[in-house]
Amino acid sequence: MARREFFEHSPPIRVEGGIKARNRRGSIGAEWWSRRFIDVLESIAHPGRLQRGRTYARQGQVLSLTVEAYEVTAKVQGSRPQPYEVAIGIDAIDDPDWTRIEAALADRAVFRARLLAGEMPPEIEEVFAEHGCPLFPESWDRLQVMCSCPDWGDPCKHAAAALYVLAEAFDDDPFLILAWNGRTKDQLLAGLRRAVPAAPDPLYVEDRPLTADGFWAPATGLARLRERPPTPPATPGLLLRLLDPPPINVRRKNLTDVLSPAYDALTGDAPTDDHYHHHDHHHDHHHDDDA
Amino acid sequence: MLVAHATWHGGALCLWAERTDSPEQIEPGVHPYATNDFAGTSYEPLVRDAGRIELTMLLPGTADRPSPSPELGAEPHDAEDLHSWRVPALVLGQFPAMTLLRSAEEYADVVPGTDLRFLALIADEALDHVEKGLVLPALLRDDGTLTARWQPVVYNVPRFRELAQAMPAACRAAKGGQNASVVLREALYGLTDTAVRRAVPHPLLPPRKGRVPDLLPLAERWVAALTGPNAEVDRELGDDPDELAAELDAWAAPARLPAGPLRVSFRLVEPPAEVEEPDDQWQVEFALQGTDDPSLFVSAASVWAGEARAIADAEETLLTGLGRALRLFPELGPALNQPAPRAAEMDAAGAFRFLREAAPLLSAAGFGVLLPQWAGRARLGMKLTTRATGESSPGAAAASGFGMADLVNFRWDLAIGGESIAEEELAELARLKAPLVRLRGQWVELDERQLAAALDFMRQRRSGTMTAAEAMQAAMHPGVEALPLTEVDADGALGDLLSGEADRRLTPLTTPDGIEARLRPYQERGLAWLSFMNELGLGALLADDMGLGKTLAILSLLVHERLTEADPGPTLAVLPMSLVGNWQREAARFTPKLRVYVHHGTGRHRDDDLVQAVAQADLVLTTYGTATRDADMLAQVEWGRVVCDEAQALKNSGTRQARAVRGIPARSRVALTGTPVENHLTELWSIMEFANPGLLGPRAEFRARYAVPIEAHGDEDAAAALKRATGPFILRRLKTDKNIISDLPDKQEIKVYCNLTTEQASLYQATVEDMLARIAESEGTQRRGLVLATMAKLKQVCNHPAHLLKDGSRLPDRSGKLERLEEICAEILEQGEKALVFTQYAEFGSMLQPYLMSRLDRPVLWLHGGTSKRQRDDLVQRFQTGDEPAVFLLSLKAAGTGLTLTAANHVIHVDRWWNPAVEDQATDRAFRIGQTKNVQVRKFICVGTLEERIDEMIERKKALAESVVGTGEDWLTELSVAELRDVIRLAPEAVSD
Repeated sequence: MARREFFEHSPPIRVEGGIKARNRRGSIGAEWWSRRFIDVLESIAHPGRLQRGRTYARQGQVLSLTVEAYEVTAKVQGSRPQPYEVAIGIDAIDDPDWTRIEAALADRAVFRARLLAGEMPPEIEEVFAEHGCPLFPESWDRLQVMCSCPDWGDPCKHAAAALYVLAEAFDDDPFLILAWNGRTKDQLLAGLRRAVPAAPDPLYVEDRPLTADGFWAPATGLARLRERPPTPPATPGLLLRLLDPPPINVRRKNLTDVLSPAYDALTGDAPTDDHYHHHDHHHDHHHDDDA
Repeated sequence: MLVAHATWHGGALCLWAERTDSPEQIEPGVHPYATNDFAGTSYEPLVRDAGRIELTMLLPGTADRPSPSPELGAEPHDAEDLHSWRVPALVLGQFPAMTLLRSAEEYADVVPGTDLRFLALIADEALDHVEKGLVLPALLRDDGTLTARWQPVVYNVPRFRELAQAMPAACRAAKGGQNASVVLREALYGLTDTAVRRAVPHPLLPPRKGRVPDLLPLAERWVAALTGPNAEVDRELGDDPDELAAELDAWAAPARLPAGPLRVSFRLVEPPAEVEEPDDQWQVEFALQGTDDPSLFVSAASVWAGEARAIADAEETLLTGLGRALRLFPELGPALNQPAPRAAEMDAAGAFRFLREAAPLLSAAGFGVLLPQWAGRARLGMKLTTRATGESSPGAAAASGFGMADLVNFRWDLAIGGESIAEEELAELARLKAPLVRLRGQWVELDERQLAAALDFMRQRRSGTMTAAEAMQAAMHPGVEALPLTEVDADGALGDLLSGEADRRLTPLTTPDGIEARLRPYQERGLAWLSFMNELGLGALLADDMGLGKTLAILSLLVHERLTEADPGPTLAVLPMSLVGNWQREAARFTPKLRVYVHHGTGRHRDDDLVQAVAQADLVLTTYGTATRDADMLAQVEWGRVVCDEAQALKNSGTRQARAVRGIPARSRVALTGTPVENHLTELWSIMEFANPGLLGPRAEFRARYAVPIEAHGDEDAAAALKRATGPFILRRLKTDKNIISDLPDKQEIKVYCNLTTEQASLYQATVEDMLARIAESEGTQRRGLVLATMAKLKQVCNHPAHLLKDGSRLPDRSGKLERLEEICAEILEQGEKALVFTQYAEFGSMLQPYLMSRLDRPVLWLHGGTSKRQRDDLVQRFQTGDEPAVFLLSLKAAGTGLTLTAANHVIHVDRWWNPAVEDQATDRAFRIGQTKNVQVRKFICVGTLEERIDEMIERKKALAESVVGTGEDWLTELSVAELRDVIRLAPEAVSD
């Protein structure tokens, strides 16, 4: 106690351009996720110290805040000229756990859609909890808070200020929570895409076993299979336009331009036999219908 | 005879065949009937360079002997199972393989099995992808070998899966049975590559100018291997094929279609009608749509409003799909910058670009596209109006009161969607310069090219007087692409002729004297039309539905012209062999005064004898085969007319047969066909080329102008133009037309006369002699039994030699009856209708079922005494409710009563019970409550055999008392040997080949 009071009396050096907590009154944290983080914080840490940290945060004493995997670092201006270095660490989620979590998230496309749309679906927390990897620290012990200040308080007001600013950063970019837990948004979305249960190959069909019965007969009359509904005419070159030109050049021309005459040759009502005759000299019948 | 089989194996088409001749010394385990020797067949030139391979295939049969395939048509063995056989086969190169698959149906000397025909269908599928340009080049790496291959972008996944499920087991029976979809994919991919190489000139890159570097880049070597016969990419040290392959993969990825149950769809919405300046109020709305079920439609607005909760990942699917579409439809960009995009807004120019550019792209890329009704329809075109003047150019007159020299007033107008446009309106449209304009409340697409053509058109002389012949030519001309002829409005006789309804306009010709029948009203109209066309010197295509009496129409025409003209000249009728007997019998029955000469068979007249024989005849019957062989001889005769029956036989216009028949000169020509010609446009061209040479222009032009747009793209304008061009020459009455149906009885009985083959005839003769000798020596019960057995045996011979011999021998080309049955069933199925086929012999039905199924490519159900109650119900249910045309084969005893099969409107009695009551009862399966169509009943009769004689006796007795003949065949047993001999003897006219 005494030690704490010893440092209390020296007021912090005021800073310009620090990260000011916007929220003058009430709680920091407008969105459910940052609210959730503050709740956790307030339930596990000393209220008085958090209070002082909040004041600090609102004064803008936090100079910078960097969120990296499993560690947040901040510079907080205290009473000494040199800003204090704050580090807030959490338990890392190991790769196998991440793989499981990604698989669980990928199972429900709603997560991916919401994340794509820039939202943080509330249910995501449950998914993490189910896998024993809480998204938010459940107790103070799970947070490793360090500050270069001489204050032995746990947390010291610098760390507390950093935590509040962090909560507010979560408001702006919910993906920081995930980044802190080891995955940036892009990494997670990529992971989800990988984890999407490989769509079954649409061109694969399970077989019926071969049987002697109906061995030679098609399951559907061939006449029916020959009925193909008319489709609107498509100009063959269109596929080349569908695709972005690849980074492939042949004789300084992009592949798209190189292939273009080939696609043009496919246009028209039918390929003629003319080119083909170059390859096949045995073609002695002229089949008018062979077009 | 060879039945050719094929499987796709090891990246190539493997071909083998079953032969019918008895096996020689064969190694154990080797398929005793299989061969890879195609010497002397049409296949020979295609397989000359093929490699040899031995396939191990699982085939049905017993451990001792594989069963023949249905094309050979033996009775299915009860104890069948799959056994492994070594099969000698050929591995075809990619180009010969493609040619073989494309023409297998046309070679007459080798019968393609269902497996081969299925792969032919896959070749069509590959061509379809290639013609749509839905192919992408890839670099394949396999064991250090690099190949350049074109791969299809499978755009219709449900169809692919349907094909996989329909693949005959025979296609995948190699290597102990492979997965159908894997075999299908390999075949489709391989054939696609071939189809591209056939179409694309080689090389793609021009030769390098100047010094060629020692080392060409991998990409350049790969491009070189993409065309021409060699797909292998030369390897060089330092190549990084993985990198090129990865780049190509990444490039091609967006072309792969999403296969989920939902797809994104785009709907073009026109500006609201009340908007004054609608130019920038176009919208393309986004939605999710069921891939298989387009009626499942959820707008993007609903998705974002959270109203699509029932659909898993609706938002995700929508966003991902829109992202994919962005490349094809860049106008989407601004909309996608919003949090909840629901539509893209655009001006008329944007909407026009969407219609013309983005929509086809999106649709080809698997997106749903919904366009307004008018899109692609309301086109600017020309309209021709003619009005009869009642005058005729000097010196012309025709008996029918209408001549091609009659004068008509004409006027050309510009029209859109059937409405004429005034010059001022066009000027206004030109001023607006908008590609989409609203004209009298109707949206119209109008590009600059069309506008220019229209302005040009308006400057020409657009009204005056011309002859009917000129008007007809003008009306048949389709116009130019930018300005097609979209409407013809003609009155009077010319109008009727052009609309293809001349028969209704002409005064019907009453049944001419000398016809032993009373023509029905529609037949009298048909006769008037044929006679009218004859007078105008126009070739006619009579395409009435089957059963409406096309043969009788020609016979009537002959009688009519002999009453009205001095020297009409002889008519040559070219027929399929199976119809010769029928024509003979109908001529004898309806027009006994016409002198008929059958020019057919080894004893036929030649040269001067032929000329003499023809001089004594009014009607000369010949077959397509004989006409082809004797073309030169037949061309020496001055024919008044050449008639082709079943004129679809001419469909391959390049064949010797078609050329030969076309080459026989005649004053007029008539083609007869019952197949709906509008479904087979290439056939239509060939038939018209016979009837009116040159009328439809060169074949390639016809394909480009009509066949492809109509068949592949469902182009209604092209269909209308074709109808205008051909309408005057085609008379096609459907039995369902209300004008016809009132002329027809609800139940129409038709006798179908068939010939015997030489084989049938000799078997028949042998049986007659053998049995008569034994009957003469027997009495009482034994005699009765012998007589009945004789009847049975002779009827079996008439059905098919294999039916009598029961030796499991092949079915094709050995029975006139079977041939005719096949033709008639094909015609019924072609019309989309269903038939009941009755036989009194279960063993014959068992032979027919697999055979007909493989020949007709449609379901052929089979119900006999051994069918369980449940199977029976299933079959009946399937037949009654199925939407596919089908044949239901029934044993007369098992199915003659009780069942309701009103889905059929055709009944065929293949063999006869000689008991009208029993036959009528069977017929009534179709003709009973619930039947909404007229029913045609066909009874097959072999001419010159006991079948014909007993039929005649029944007809005679019928007049006396139904009861006498109501007792089946028993009365025959009471006949004396002499009487019996008279009944069963073989008359010389029985044989046709």
